[in-house]
Amino acid sequence: MKITSADDLEAARQAGLQKLQPGKPRIAVGLATCGIAVGGNKVYERLREIIKRDGLDIVLTKTGCIGYCREEPLVNISIPKKPLVILHKVTEADAEEIIKQVSRGKVPTDKALCRVPSWDHITGCTLEYGKGFTRIPLYAKVPFFQDQQKVILRDTGLINPEDIDEYIAVGGYKAAMKVLTGMDSEAVIKEVEKSGLRGRGGAGFPTGLKWRITRDAKADKKYIICNADEGDPGAYMNRNEMESDPHMLIEGMIIGAYAMGAAEGLIYIRAEYPLAIKRLKLALEQAREYGLLGSNIFGTGFSFDIGIATGAGAFVCGESTALVSSIEGRTGRPHPRPPRLTDVGGGLWGYPTDLNNVETWCNVPVIIINGSDWYAKIGSEGNTGTKVFSLVGKVDRVGLVEVPLGTTLKTIVSDIGNGGANNKKVKAVQTGGPSGGCIPVRMFDTTVDYESLNRVGSIMGSGGIVVMDEDTDMVDIARYFINFATGESCGKCVPCREGLKHALLLLNRIMAKKGTRKDIENLALLSDTIVATSLCGLGQSAPNPVLTTLAYFREEYDALVKP
Amino acid sequence: MTPGEAGEVDTPKKQVTITINGNKYPADEGEILLGVAVRNKIAIPHLCYEPSLDPYGACRLCMVEEVKRGKREMTTSCTLRAAEGLEVVTDTPEIVKHRSILFELYLAEAPKSEVIKAMAARYGVTKTRFLKKLDSTDLLGNKCVLCGLCVRACTEIMGAAAIGFVNRGPYTVVNTPYFEPTKDCFGCGACVKVCPTDAVEMEDAGDTRVMKSWSGTRVPLANCDCCGKFFAPKGLATATLARVTPSLREEIAALCPACRGKRIAREEILALSGGAERHG
Amino acid sequence: MDETTLDAIIARYEAPSGRLLGILGEIQDQEGYIPRETLAMLAEKLDVRLSQLYSLTTFYSYFSLTPVGDHVITVCMGTACHVKGAPGILQALEGMLGIKSDTSEDGKFSITTEDKKFTLEIARCFGACSMAPVLRIDGNLYGYATKEDLPTILAEYGWEP
Repeated sequence: MKITSADDLEAARQAGLQKLQPGKPRIAVGLATCGIAVGGNKVYERLREIIKRDGLDIVLTKTGCIGYCREEPLVNISIPKKPLVILHKVTEADAEEIIKQVSRGKVPTDKALCRVPSWDHITGCTLEYGKGFTRIPLYAKVPFFQDQQKVILRDTGLINPEDIDEYIAVGGYKAAMKVLTGMDSEAVIKEVEKSGLRGRGGAGFPTGLKWRITRDAKADKKYIICNADEGDPGAYMNRNEMESDPHMLIEGMIIGAYAMGAAEGLIYIRAEYPLAIKRLKLALEQAREYGLLGSNIFGTGFSFDIGIATGAGAFVCGESTALVSSIEGRTGRPHPRPPRLTDVGGGLWGYPTDLNNVETWCNVPVIIINGSDWYAKIGSEGNTGTKVFSLVGKVDRVGLVEVPLGTTLKTIVSDIGNGGANNKKVKAVQTGGPSGGCIPVRMFDTTVDYESLNRVGSIMGSGGIVVMDEDTDMVDIARYFINFATGESCGKCVPCREGLKHALLLLNRIMAKKGTRKDIENLALLSDTIVATSLCGLGQSAPNPVLTTLAYFREEYDALVKP
Repeated sequence: MTPGEAGEVDTPKKQVTITINGNKYPADEGEILLGVAVRNKIAIPHLCYEPSLDPYGACRLCMVEEVKRGKREMTTSCTLRAAEGLEVVTDTPEIVKHRSILFELYLAEAPKSEVIKAMAARYGVTKTRFLKKLDSTDLLGNKCVLCGLCVRACTEIMGAAAIGFVNRGPYTVVNTPYFEPTKDCFGCGACVKVCPTDAVEMEDAGDTRVMKSWSGTRVPLANCDCCGKFFAPKGLATATLARVTPSLREEIAALCPACRGKRIAREEILALSGGAERHG
Repeated sequence: MDETTLDAIIARYEAPSGRLLGILGEIQDQEGYIPRETLAMLAEKLDVRLSQLYSLTTFYSYFSLTPVGDHVITVCMGTACHVKGAPGILQALEGMLGIKSDTSEDGKFSITTEDKKFTLEIARCFGACSMAPVLRIDGNLYGYATKEDLPTILAEYGWEP
């Protein structure tokens, strides 16, 4: 059945709403990678067994991850006319009691994390669940969720990512239809420009401008690519976005392809994300069945489809020219720029190419539906919108945190994250992955936006925030990152390949207490040269952990060498 | 050639004036700045630049500072293209500082290369504080700097792709698949010719050309039907002659260049003199 | 890998974008490594030089050129996992399996026990950072791994002390 009109879309929407609120109890088990890693599948199977055994009229389905990873496995219970209830730390053993309660129109309150009377899906749909269960805390009062603002994560952990109808039910593909049937390329690009959206992969380049440059390049073919390599260890926002709400990404790419005049899109996704690959492939198939991808979408004459290209374990392939080389079947060795990807002769197979991060694409549908003015009011000037961060490491409340840009580190780590785990004192955070720097706790009033983080020697990166506590050895952290960069360096240019190698030798010597003051000086000199002369972003930013720990934790280095 | 660029080979390029260290030089628009400098004998060190190949950006030695709107930005001169008003300076303190560290890294990486030692010394660096690589099993004699020229010449210019980069990062080396002799090698010696540090070695031993650096790859040489000398790799000779149309006469094809020249000259003289051999 | 299987894999990748890594990825997933004969066969079928394929398989960490054991244990060494003790887990596993990690010449970390039962590898990040430290055995993820858990987990795969 192909969707060719607003009526068709509405019909699919109604079908989806029927699935989300089927008029009978619906249980949804959180089955993203982290939920599965802690036994989510076993919970699902056990529930299924019991429902079948007792012949009950209960809908059992899958959902993604709502972001409170520490509390996994999570299970949603929706009883007609009652609030949606989210249960946490559910085990197989809880299954019997859950079913028993649900058959009576109740929920096991001792396992309940929170209740949701209604949920605003941001893209023009608010689902009303119901009243009751007043002893269970409200979602909005749960400390982890309280200071968050969900825009990108509006559907994750609530809809079934393997069913396109549920995405359409909450407003999905309305933006694509609005664009393809009622806007021209210039209008779309202007909206994205006015929204102030900046690249969520870390560089923060204005997205609208990149789209404009790509659109204006003179070539008979263009490509758009989604960077789903997510190489930063500690960052898994994109993984959740793809596993829990894959259609959001697809819809964003359809809109972008239309605006830039591309007929082919590619998602370059790391091989270490098998579930995300599986869910994306399924979502693409479903979109094709509905005619949302393929030729003559919505009967407008615009044709576009998306392919998947897998990575193979190379962090450097997150760099744009290396990523393109990888897709072309070559090793991931970056090219000097110019030419840029958006230049004629510089992109995929030589054609102008727009490359955006998963989360950047995911921002597009909400901008189109709610308007650039609405979007620009979130966050701060020059840093509009929200950003999803992965708050991990030695922090109490571990999970995915979505806040407006401009929120302070203190809010994220202390208020949302509740500070150090096991009552330890937080010492620092590392932002931006291996390309970023370590920021000491005394600077946690730093706001999380592109410029502020650059000013203190770090970067936003893709959104990983790793918390370190009083027991963390900061020189060990510097060594960890240099070791990582050495292993991931493509090896093409001398400063990165040879420089990092010797930086690691110096750090090893220092950590083995065989180093001297001169070694620390040489480490700093070497780091500066690697930053100034490397060919690509990997080398240019790899010394950041060293430079920031030298700047903020010098005493830890000094303690390891003779005075 | 890339899509979008058509027929630019023969059209005359617009002439522009660029400035290097305060002096003006003419150049073709789009010409690589490093090429202009080399042409005008301005000293900018470089290892991985080769005019017949796209800029590679591996050696990081060709740094200059581009003067733009009153500000200066350090950048590689192999990626700068000549345009009207382009202004650069070489050998600024910033460049010297970083380049010296780079040369120290080179001295540590290729301690046996005389070329590197001489180049580093020319730019003021004669010793290194970093640990030198001394691996007696290195097939490239501790002289390779992984500039990539041998791989690119073999692949992009000769089309043989007999060697390639193996591994990545500090484990990167250049060699044949599985470090075994390869049948894909033509024995053309482009790799030897193009290596800037004299790291690649080959040796003709009788009827065989031994690519010493490439894991003992041996390429049979063709010998002259007339004088018996071994003059060219067999496969390369055959492949090259196969592309010549109309093809050479069989009798000449199996001769070395010297004998071929003599034979053709003799035939010409015989033809001119009506078939009689005259001795003067 | 027999030729029919290889042909079937190649047939799934018609479009040039992502083709080579996709095919190599499937060979890796099916065989547990990239057999030499398969690589040579692939070079012929796709009309690319062996050295180009060899460059790819040695550059990317996902590919192994040596056969792996019956069970592959992968320890995540991402930042969150590192901070939460992954190096200790790796060390404990080395002890349990009686193998020593040394930096191999090609930079890939993959060691197989002598009885070929287990292969120990590292990964840079599975994206399950919230449950650090993370361990993967044959595709199954184990979160919040501790040294004490290891004997029980490994026993499921036939490990004996």
